[in-house]
Amino acid sequence: MGIGTHLLSVPLLADISVGDHVQRQVFGLTIDMDTVWATIIAGVIVILVGLIMRAKVTSGVPGKFQLLWEMAVSAVQKQVDDSIGPRGAKVVPLALTLFIFIFTCNLFEVLGIGSHFEVLPAPTSDINLPLAMALYVIVLVHAAAIKNRGIGGYVKHYLNRPFPIWLFPVNLFMNVVDEIAKPLTLALRLFGNLLAGGLMLSLLAALVIWKIGPAPLGALLTVPLTVVWKLFDMAIGAIQAFIFALLTILYFDTAMAPDLAH
Amino acid sequence: MLIAASNFLVPNGTFIVVLIAFIVVLGVIAKYVLPPLNKALTERQDQIRGELEAADKAKADAQEADAERRAVLDHARVQAREIVAQASTSADQIKVKAEADGQAIHDRIVQAADAEVVIARQAAVEQVTARVGEIVLAAAERVIGREIRSADHQDLIDEAIAAVRAETSGAGAGAAGGRR
Repeated sequence: MGIGTHLLSVPLLADISVGDHVQRQVFGLTIDMDTVWATIIAGVIVILVGLIMRAKVTSGVPGKFQLLWEMAVSAVQKQVDDSIGPRGAKVVPLALTLFIFIFTCNLFEVLGIGSHFEVLPAPTSDINLPLAMALYVIVLVHAAAIKNRGIGGYVKHYLNRPFPIWLFPVNLFMNVVDEIAKPLTLALRLFGNLLAGGLMLSLLAALVIWKIGPAPLGALLTVPLTVVWKLFDMAIGAIQAFIFALLTILYFDTAMAPDLAH
Repeated sequence: MLIAASNFLVPNGTFIVVLIAFIVVLGVIAKYVLPPLNKALTERQDQIRGELEAADKAKADAQEADAERRAVLDHARVQAREIVAQASTSADQIKVKAEADGQAIHDRIVQAADAEVVIARQAAVEQVTARVGEIVLAAAERVIGREIRSADHQDLIDEAIAAVRAETSGAGAGAAGGRR
């Protein structure tokens, strides 16, 4: 089906669609097999890269590989220290894994050719993975908030801010919307960027059919434009991975902050 | 296996599979990758801190040694100055003492010489006066042709001797004073 079909088929004569996956039914559940194997491959890459670094790790002069890891860990560590403080030490592995894993997943988009079926699609361009990570993060954030404030404090927190307590229905409504928006925006921001990246590849591939008279103008343009777009898309992938990790830290910061701060 | 289109905004069973995959990755990173890396980072920080502290200590030691060297040098300089000053003072003292001693010896020698002169003169005068008395008597005997008993004219002789003595002692005193 594809929502783009009607919009794009007329000027470009191309059949661009979204949401196409290699699917299988397992225990009555629909599984996007391409997303699953791409996720597993990304996970294996991240784990391998980590274990290789672990095998060579030294407290002496680090190699380039270890240095890269150290830079990532130090950046996350610093971000956590600056916003949450020493209490946030448990957030570091989560934020670091999110960043590296999402970045690796996003890089798969560079392999894309803009077809209906990608051998190795970026798994983050399927709503399932971003949503899974976002909900996982948000569940942990709420758990941290309950641990920090106690059940009573956790509930009270939704009633007495941002307005005085007598306006608690308004407060409750605003806070619930806020809490629902957090995982949704976290997931959709990543998903939307990666989906759009894939769509751009499809559009650039569809450019091939553009001719002015006998001149294959689209075919000449599509290669350089695709190269430029993929370089740009790699930057988007890095930025989105960074934003996901950063927002995770900030959500934990809000949850772990003392009550007086809000 | 089929390629099927579905609503791209609605999650499906994939959610559970990829969630498990992500948690596995998170677990491996958190349990097996981060701890050794953090350990290495901490060790390196400690190493660097230790080296910096050692460098600081070495610097402090060097400064201390330098200050000590300076103090010793200053002390030595002050001592040298004192020794030179002392030497110059004692040289002055020795000079003054030597001058005083020399003067005293000189004075003593001169006094002794003066005394000897006076004694010699006295003796000479005694001899001369004795001799003068005899000569005068002998001359007088020859002149008057007879013996003159000295006892008879003792008054005259004594008178003459006294006159001679008065004359010579007056001249001797004058000569002693002029020599000084």
